[in-house]
Amino acid sequence: MAYDDYLDGEKVIVTAALTGGVHGKEANPNLPETPEEIGEAAAECEAAGAAVVHLHARRDSGERSFDRDRFQAITEAVRSRTNLVIQHSTGGTGATLEARRQSLRTDPAPEMASLDMGPLNRYRHLTSENTRGMVDSLYDEMVERGIKPELEVFNDGHLNEVAALLDRRDLADPVYTTLIFGGGTTSPPSPRNLLNATENLPEGALFNTLGFGRHQLPLTTMGILLGGHVRVGLEDNVYYGPDQLAESNAQLVARTAGLAETLGREPATPDEARDILGL
Amino acid sequence: MPDVCPYLEYRQLEAETESGDAADAQPRAYCNAAEEFVQAMRADICNGRYGLDHETDCEIYREAEGLPEGVESEGGGGD
Repeated sequence: MAYDDYLDGEKVIVTAALTGGVHGKEANPNLPETPEEIGEAAAECEAAGAAVVHLHARRDSGERSFDRDRFQAITEAVRSRTNLVIQHSTGGTGATLEARRQSLRTDPAPEMASLDMGPLNRYRHLTSENTRGMVDSLYDEMVERGIKPELEVFNDGHLNEVAALLDRRDLADPVYTTLIFGGGTTSPPSPRNLLNATENLPEGALFNTLGFGRHQLPLTTMGILLGGHVRVGLEDNVYYGPDQLAESNAQLVARTAGLAETLGREPATPDEARDILGL
Repeated sequence: MPDVCPYLEYRQLEAETESGDAADAQPRAYCNAAEEFVQAMRADICNGRYGLDHETDCEIYREAEGLPEGVESEGGGGD
């Protein structure tokens, strides 16, 4: 994907990351946590222009859950209200591999699932390990269940890991990556680093741009101009503007969809996204 | 039984929803050392889940107890 794709007006897949596993209502009371809240938020995001929804599960207390039944309840809440492509997270800093597999085991399986390409640090002493063995194991279960992986690239070193995964496994085209920018172990957020990352993608790979916090708006806008796809939502950014909490996930999606239209690329519908992603 | 952080308690979060209706809200993790509600991932440390231990893994606990900081790192969202 490149600037030519922008010039050609290729449609933009907008992914809505509704909930995440890191922060909750203590950061923004509008962040959905229960299956009902997540289902409603997903429907609003579809109406606002999203094609894909990235899902995590929470306990009633808002804390992380890796329980298959909880994912089942969430996925049913979303499926009953929308035609969105459902993407489950397999991320889970500190959690066991077995816990992280549970989101792949809903009935039906999600159409997509995230696959972290390497380690990342949190707080003082947490690491999301993502060893190559864990990555292969999660990938193999995705293949077994017909789930397309979304390769999460938290920094440039993970681009090497994408290449290594392509050597180890036979990924179906198109390879779909998400380039992530922010603090900590993610790539330093800058336009130059987004450009560099896109130039280091495997031939033919699609990319999705994810910027944390205040980097969400400028870097996703740049991702649109570079012919890529974009991810927004309260998982990655709880603000709409400086010191202004977002009212909803849909508010962030609507702004991004409007920007894409202004820049000459229409947001893809869920079925158009399925065609683009080869689902 | 997990080793729960002594600074942990569960409290009602004000303004649970956009409408302010907290009637059905569940209590959530509050850290008395930091004097704030903690993030979902931090609550795993407080509760000793997944092999995590507040005495070694939580910088807030260690600071409150006057323990050496050790290695510092800070992550963002999007796990």
